[in-house]
Amino acid sequence: MELLALLLIPLVAGSILLVARPAAATARGLAFTSTLLTLAVVLWLWYNWTGDAVTVLSRDWVPAWGLRLSFGYSGIGLLMLVLTGVLYPFIIATGYKQPVGDASLVNALLLYCQAALFGVFMVQNAILFYIFFETSLIPIFFLLLRWGGEHKRAITVRFFLYTLMGGLALLFSIAYTTLQAPGHSADFSALAAANIPLATQKWLFWTMFLAFAIKMPVFPFHSWQPETYTMAPTQGTMVLSAIMGKMGIYGIVAFLYPILPEGTAYWQDFVIWLCLIGALYAAVIAFRQENFKRLVAYSSMSHLGLMAAALFTWNAYGISGGLYQTFAHGVLMICLFYIVGMMNLRVGSNRFADMGGLKTRMFRFALMFMLIVGNAISMPLTQSFPGEWLMFNGLWQLNHWMALAGVVLIILGAVYMLYAYQRVLLGPDRDVPIADADDQEHFFLVPLILIIFLVGLFPNLALSLVDGPVQHLLNAIPPLP
Amino acid sequence: MSALILISVLGVVLLYLGLFARKGILAPVGIIGLLGVMALFWTGWHIPHAWLGGMLEFDRFSIAFNLGMAAITVLIFLFGPDYYERMERHVAEQYALMLFSLAGGFILSAYHNLLMLFLGYEILSIPLYVLAGAKKYSLRSSEASLKYFLLGSFASALMLMGVALLYSLTGSFDLARLGEYMAGHGEGNLVLGFGLFFVVVGLAFKVGAVPFHFWVPDVYTGSPTLITTFMASVVKMAAFAGFYRLIAATGMPGSLATTMALLVLATLLVGNVAALRQTNFKRLMAYSSISHAGFLLLALLSHGGTQGGGLSVGGTLLFYTFTYSLATVGLFILFIIAKRANLGAEHNGIFQGLWHANPWLALCGLALLLSMAGIPLTAGFIAKYQVFLLAIGAGWLKVMGFGVLMALLGVYYYIMVAKEMFTPAAQPTTFVAARLNWLVITLCTAGILLLGLWPSLVTL
Repeated sequence: MELLALLLIPLVAGSILLVARPAAATARGLAFTSTLLTLAVVLWLWYNWTGDAVTVLSRDWVPAWGLRLSFGYSGIGLLMLVLTGVLYPFIIATGYKQPVGDASLVNALLLYCQAALFGVFMVQNAILFYIFFETSLIPIFFLLLRWGGEHKRAITVRFFLYTLMGGLALLFSIAYTTLQAPGHSADFSALAAANIPLATQKWLFWTMFLAFAIKMPVFPFHSWQPETYTMAPTQGTMVLSAIMGKMGIYGIVAFLYPILPEGTAYWQDFVIWLCLIGALYAAVIAFRQENFKRLVAYSSMSHLGLMAAALFTWNAYGISGGLYQTFAHGVLMICLFYIVGMMNLRVGSNRFADMGGLKTRMFRFALMFMLIVGNAISMPLTQSFPGEWLMFNGLWQLNHWMALAGVVLIILGAVYMLYAYQRVLLGPDRDVPIADADDQEHFFLVPLILIIFLVGLFPNLALSLVDGPVQHLLNAIPPLP
Repeated sequence: MSALILISVLGVVLLYLGLFARKGILAPVGIIGLLGVMALFWTGWHIPHAWLGGMLEFDRFSIAFNLGMAAITVLIFLFGPDYYERMERHVAEQYALMLFSLAGGFILSAYHNLLMLFLGYEILSIPLYVLAGAKKYSLRSSEASLKYFLLGSFASALMLMGVALLYSLTGSFDLARLGEYMAGHGEGNLVLGFGLFFVVVGLAFKVGAVPFHFWVPDVYTGSPTLITTFMASVVKMAAFAGFYRLIAATGMPGSLATTMALLVLATLLVGNVAALRQTNFKRLMAYSSISHAGFLLLALLSHGGTQGGGLSVGGTLLFYTFTYSLATVGLFILFIIAKRANLGAEHNGIFQGLWHANPWLALCGLALLLSMAGIPLTAGFIAKYQVFLLAIGAGWLKVMGFGVLMALLGVYYYIMVAKEMFTPAAQPTTFVAARLNWLVITLCTAGILLLGLWPSLVTL
């Protein structure tokens, strides 16, 4: 029932916006209210969480190809639902201060996307997963195509084709695995029971991983990402980085581990190194950026690379850390892109050259930004610290060199973030009229900062969700040769 | 078989009506007659029966296909009054010729005898040669007609030669005999190989498979749009039904499988790559129809594979062609509406401003295009996915992987058309949709979405 509400609330609200086309203020109000409702539902689910996987509905839809209406969630799915539910009000609220285009249309697209994202995290059937996975792309596609920045057409199309390529590869793998599964069912549980020989798993791993690698993105499947994040309107970038990238993380846990354990083990080292190299590479590039938004885009890629690497470590530390970090990273991305938008509003560009020397004029802004940067570089007490610690531990257990790469990554992260902070705010005072953060912006950032410290102090809020399922996952996988 | 008689009589009646009555009643009479034909077919659903001494066999497969073709023709006829509004002469002939062609389609979906295959093939084609040239004073239309006729006759001749070769081996036109013969002396028989090859070439020409596709873009572009719609939907269904009956009888011997696999690869590649560069919407649809033919051939190629859970090649072909036809009809009507709004231009840009002028039509157009592209929640996705499942079940993994890649290209050009619909027009354009056209587009969209959610509605 609650899951149905999660799907229907954004769908209905979006459709009302699309049909009635109300004035901007009403449209935003309606969209915001609907996301608050979904937030309430999600928190209710969280509050009632008992630690066992929940199956809400399970019945046949198209038996011929294993498509079943299976809805439910484990702790991991719930964490993703919470992530989507918590972040979406902020994404919608961004439109108040940093509006793009026709408010009713933009919000309708965002809400449709939310419905699809909820769908992705609550289905227990692979084909259904694919359906939501692809559907979530369509609203975003139109959002970028219509309200993107420079070169929007070429960049959007490239982004779309890239993700769709991954999606189709995933579809191929699902179709293949379904035919091997007992009873030709595409439920995750049935797919996990399919006995796929190692030789097949080796190549099937890549056709599956491709979709998730592109979505996150992981080196070398990332080339769509920086351009797209930079060009997209702020709200679009937030959805892409904070939530849609997490579909990749979720997919790895939902698909690769249970269905292709041996294939995953076979490629484990290679993929971890790929992720780490990509993360290092992105960190170095981030350091060299002259554009604030691009820097954040690369930093997102760097963080996601580390998270993906941690997921593949095959131990409880790494997997829990990676999953926990999805939440922290989502909050962080919302904050950072909002700040980019704030600066853009004030100086009219995203280039560092136009910023600097503003600390005394934007005192409160500087303070909030500092706290957020603290989160970005995983200072203790912030939300990211436990996650980084766990991921680091996971890598250490597997291979010391990987852990070393992780440490380098954390250092590089601090370097480019602090350097960015310096270029945005510090330096010799500039005598330009510029406004400090206003009430609306406080309303936006302060709750997020509270979340950062709340979860930083009580990481178990999120960790308790994934602990059980991760243990379950590790136990279910047969011992490796 | 009373339905076959009824439809032939119906065509003749329409011709006479054209002599004496106003053209306004042609379409209604045609539609009522078609509904009668459908009802007659429906009564035969549970009683498979042969006819003409076993030369035609109306089993579930053929009846389902015939019902689908008749339904699509009804949709096209609904569009007719508006399309022919400004045309004074020879309207009745066009309706009648479409019905005659449809009768050929019925035979093609039901034949159990190679002679009937050829007969159905010709009855289907000859009216089309005339119809393609229906705009007598348009050079492009005449060119389309001539081109179609010349190439089409050549293909028929090849096919007839194939039939003759097969006859020389088995001494019978019966498909069952052919099947028995192939079971006996299957592999390595050169005459048999050539015979099958030529028959397949004839059919491949009709479905527009590469390298027998050269007529498709020109004929689709040159013919009157209503006729193009008919060709892209009903004729395609009939041709694939005919193709399937052949493959069902002969199975898929190794040599034929290789030929078919090459056909699939070439068709997918050429159809999709060429469609990328098209700016004329009708040409785009022509290449898109080639690419869809590629996917359908892939389903045919998978005949005899180990399918899971009761997926059948015949059912997949039916579902795919039917939903593809629905989307085609809707899109072509939308195209006519946009073409009229833009003083007869045919490039993709004519859809600009549709969303601002008529949001409902734009949403319908989006759904239809997404279905063509095979995006989830539409019937097109289900159709493609079934083909992929079949191909995997039959072990054509690499061919299917290639198909997936080509499907990706396909999404690009459909999405680019969809994008035009949501781009504001340079100057305000008014899109006038007659109520009937609006209804047909809505019906097509509803069908696409309904079948996307409940695919089991269309099964054998």
